[in-house]
Amino acid sequence: MARLVVLGGGVSGHTAATFAAKWLGSAHEVVVVTPNSKWNWIPSNIWVGVGQMTKEEVTFDLAPVYAKAGITYKQAKAVSLNPEGNESSDKSFVTIEYTGQDKAGTTENIEYDYVINATGPKLNFGATEGLGIGSELGEHTVSVCTADHAEHASHELEKCIEAMKAGTRKKFLVGTGHGMCTCQGAAFEYIFNIEHELNKAGVRDMADIKWISNESFLGDFGMGGLHMKVGGYVVSSKLFAESLFAERNVDWMIGAHVSKVEAGSIDYELLDGTTGKESFDFSMLIPPFAGVGLKAFAKDGEDITSTVFAPNGFMKVDANYGAGAYENWKASDWPRTYQNPTYSNMFACGIAFAPPHIISKPMSSPNGTPINPTPPRTGMPSGIIGKAVAHSVCDLITKGDAAHLHEASMAEMGAACVASAGKGIFTGTAAAMTVYPVVPDYEKYPGTGRDTDYTFGEIGLAGHWIKHILHHLFIWKAELKPGWTLIPE
Amino acid sequence: MKKEEVNFGKTDNFNLTMIPGSFAKKMRTCLIWQFIRFLAINIKMLVVVSKSH
Repeated sequence: MARLVVLGGGVSGHTAATFAAKWLGSAHEVVVVTPNSKWNWIPSNIWVGVGQMTKEEVTFDLAPVYAKAGITYKQAKAVSLNPEGNESSDKSFVTIEYTGQDKAGTTENIEYDYVINATGPKLNFGATEGLGIGSELGEHTVSVCTADHAEHASHELEKCIEAMKAGTRKKFLVGTGHGMCTCQGAAFEYIFNIEHELNKAGVRDMADIKWISNESFLGDFGMGGLHMKVGGYVVSSKLFAESLFAERNVDWMIGAHVSKVEAGSIDYELLDGTTGKESFDFSMLIPPFAGVGLKAFAKDGEDITSTVFAPNGFMKVDANYGAGAYENWKASDWPRTYQNPTYSNMFACGIAFAPPHIISKPMSSPNGTPINPTPPRTGMPSGIIGKAVAHSVCDLITKGDAAHLHEASMAEMGAACVASAGKGIFTGTAAAMTVYPVVPDYEKYPGTGRDTDYTFGEIGLAGHWIKHILHHLFIWKAELKPGWTLIPE
Repeated sequence: MKKEEVNFGKTDNFNLTMIPGSFAKKMRTCLIWQFIRFLAINIKMLVVVSKSH
C-alpha cells in the first residue's frame, strides 16, 4: 500500500486529494494535512464582506467529507519535509504540528511515498508596516482573504453605512497593500460590491471611493492585462476596467506600493518615485503572498530548504527559473508536470508552486522598489493543476516509475473568471471573462499573446447569475455530492 | 447634461475613458437580453474549459 500525503485542503489540495482517493480506492492511502477544520469557497467571501452571505454559506466541515471519501484527515500544519528520511530511516516523511482534533501543538512525522504540496499562501500582512504582523491582519484595515476576515469586514462596513446615514461622509480605500501583491481581482470585486451596497443603502453620495493598486495599468490583474474582441475592435482590458471605474465614480491610483499603514491613512510610493499619504475611514488592502515557511532537511539533518523551495517560500517545480530578463521570458518557462526537480516524489500545485517569473511586465520605482503584480495561480488553473498532479501521482503508484506524467501548463490552459460588481438576482452585475491561455504566448499568438477567439469579457446580470450558480456548484463538488466528478474545475 | 456625461468632468482619469450610455446600461440588467447572454457566455466558457483539460 502506497501513501500519498497532500499538504493543504484549499481548492488545489482538496481537488488533488479527492480525485486521488477516488482513483486509488482503498488499495492505497490518501492523507490530507490542513490546519483548517472547514473548507472555504473563497470567491464568495466577497459577498460575506458586504453582508450578503453568511460565513456558514461559504464554508463546510471537512471531517465528514474526508471520512466519506476514505481520506485520512489530519487537522495540522506541515512544518518540514525530510525527502531522504533521517538517520534511522530512508523513508521520506513530513513533520506536522496539529492545530485541532484535541492534539493542538503536538507534532508527528508522517511517512509518505508521494507528497503534494498544496499549502497555498501565507497571507503576508507583516510585509507592510502596520498592515499586520506575520500572517495576522492588523487593526487598521479589513480583509476578505478568509471567511472570518470577511465577516469582520462586513461588520465594519455596516458601521460606516450607519455613520453615513447619520450624516458623516466616509472615504473608502480598497486595493493592494504592497507593491508585490497578487489577487487584484478580489479587491476589484470588493470595491464594486461596496459601491453597489452603498447605493442600495441610499448613502452613495456620502462616500468617496478610491482604488489603490500595484498594477501599472487598470485591468492588468497580474496577467499583463488581456485583449478582447468587442464591437469589431480588439481592445485592452485597460479600457474596460477604466470605463467601469469612471461609470461607478470610483477614482484610482495605480503603480502604487503601500509602505506603511496607520490609523486612517497609508503611506505610498508610486512607480514614478513620488511618495504621499492617502487617508481613509474604511480600507480593505490585500496582503502580498509568500510560501507558508516549510523547511526541508536532508538525511543528515542539513537544511536543504533553498534546494527545494524558491526564496519566496514556494516549491520549485519543473519550471525554467533561469530565464533572466523580461525580454527572454517564454511561455515554455512555465511548469508542465509540477514535479520537484530534485525529489521526484514531490509535487506542488495551486499557489504553492514557485512560478518561473511574473506575467506582467516587471517594473520598479526610481528608488528601486519593485511595484508589479505577482502571477495569479488561483481558481480554475489551481483546480486543473491539482487534478493533473493527482493523476500523475496515481499513475506513478499504480503503473510504476515509468508512468507518463500528466501536464497542465498555465501557458496552454485557459481560465474562466467571473468578477462580481454587485449582488442581486435582478440588479446584480458581474464581469464574466475567459482568457486563453492564462500565461500569454507571444510566439504562438504574436501581438496580444492570446487567442482572441477565446478571450472575451462582458459585464451584466448574466455574469452575476453565473457567479451565483458557480458558488453552489463548486461547494456541491467540494462536498463530494452525487455527480461531483462531472463538474469541471 | 446627459447622466452618463456627468462623471467625465470629475477627474482627469475619468475624462480619458469611455462611459456607457443609458441603453448599454439598461441592457446589462434587461432580463431577456441577459438570459440570451447567459446562454452565450456559458457556451463560451465551456469551450475554454474543454480546451483547458
